Amino acid sequence: MPAQATRYSPLAQTFHWVIAGLIIVQFTLARLAEPLPLGVHKLAILARHKSVGMTILMLAVLRLLWRLRHRAPPLPPGMTRFERMAARGTHVAFYVLLFAMPLTGWTMSSAKNYSVSWFGLFTWPNLIGKNEAAFDFLRTTHDALSYVLFAVAVLHILAALKHHFWDRDDVLVRMLPFTKGARRS
Amino acid sequence: MRFAAGVCAAVLTAMVSSIASAATYSADATSRLEFTGVQAGAPFKGVFHQFTAAVDFDPAALATARIEVTIDMNSVDSGDKDRDGTMRGADIFDVAHFPTAHYVTRSVTRTATGFSAVGALTLRGVTKDVPIEFKFAPGAAGAGLSGTAELKRLDFGVGRGDWKSTEWVADAVKIVFSLNLKPKT
Repeated sequence: MPAQATRYSPLAQTFHWVIAGLIIVQFTLARLAEPLPLGVHKLAILARHKSVGMTILMLAVLRLLWRLRHRAPPLPPGMTRFERMAARGTHVAFYVLLFAMPLTGWTMSSAKNYSVSWFGLFTWPNLIGKNEAAFDFLRTTHDALSYVLFAVAVLHILAALKHHFWDRDDVLVRMLPFTKGARRS
Repeated sequence: MRFAAGVCAAVLTAMVSSIASAATYSADATSRLEFTGVQAGAPFKGVFHQFTAAVDFDPAALATARIEVTIDMNSVDSGDKDRDGTMRGADIFDVAHFPTAHYVTRSVTRTATGFSAVGALTLRGVTKDVPIEFKFAPGAAGAGLSGTAELKRLDFGVGRGDWKSTEWVADAVKIVFSLNLKPKT
């Protein structure tokens, strides 16, 4: 049996940090678009939001496929059962949200009869037909899930910092590029 | 007396034959007038529900052919009430000042696959030539007249202020029409 890796591979790190960066972009674009009246500026910002969202969806598919074929490095010993469950739950929630956010966004755009373009290069098919009631429901869901995503992200970041500065283990460092090996404790 | 009756008969014959050579039709309610624009890289389709068309068309007498269409700009429907409201507004169609658009052909010629015509389109108070390509299919109780056109919205000032930019709303707009023509009574 091969020894399990103690660090995330460069590909896993790339998935993690690129998607994390794109999610920050998404929150920023959504915040910028929200107060604007229907006009060119709102259209432009939402078009970018949709293009980035579809990029995240494509990356999420690749990342899930990758994850199903690879094991994550083991959690450090000494974590309680509750901590292990919390870590597992947070990571599963991220995977669910990585699909749920773009899919609710894409469907809601379809329901409003606005097809989603990918940076003007091609147009994604509409997932459902025009439907005002579905749009209202999906918009509420998309908004609510964004708060859930924000909360999970905060929990994730606090936990990583707690591992690094409180527990002094390598949970944070093993996801950081340009760092070497396991941390001496 | 005999002479007067003869003149009357001659005039009547001329009138009847002129009606027969240039059939006069109007478009019925199943006729459609669609347009496709490109917004944020993705195409969107709209229709005008209310329009009237008066058509004089005889493939054997193209010199007297005439297609005239009057469109109620308020009847625009792109499948989203917010977008429709924006299009009716002052920066796009400005229906408050320009409630109708009008198109009338000036000359019709035969092409390899059907007919083409040049006509004057008055849209948002601006009149400019727009060519159309179409097919004419006479039937038992009228005729079908269907075809396409392409125009540049900015030629007619459709899009003021921010909407003048073609970065998020393309200049080119495609028109598709299919008129079900019934003889005028």
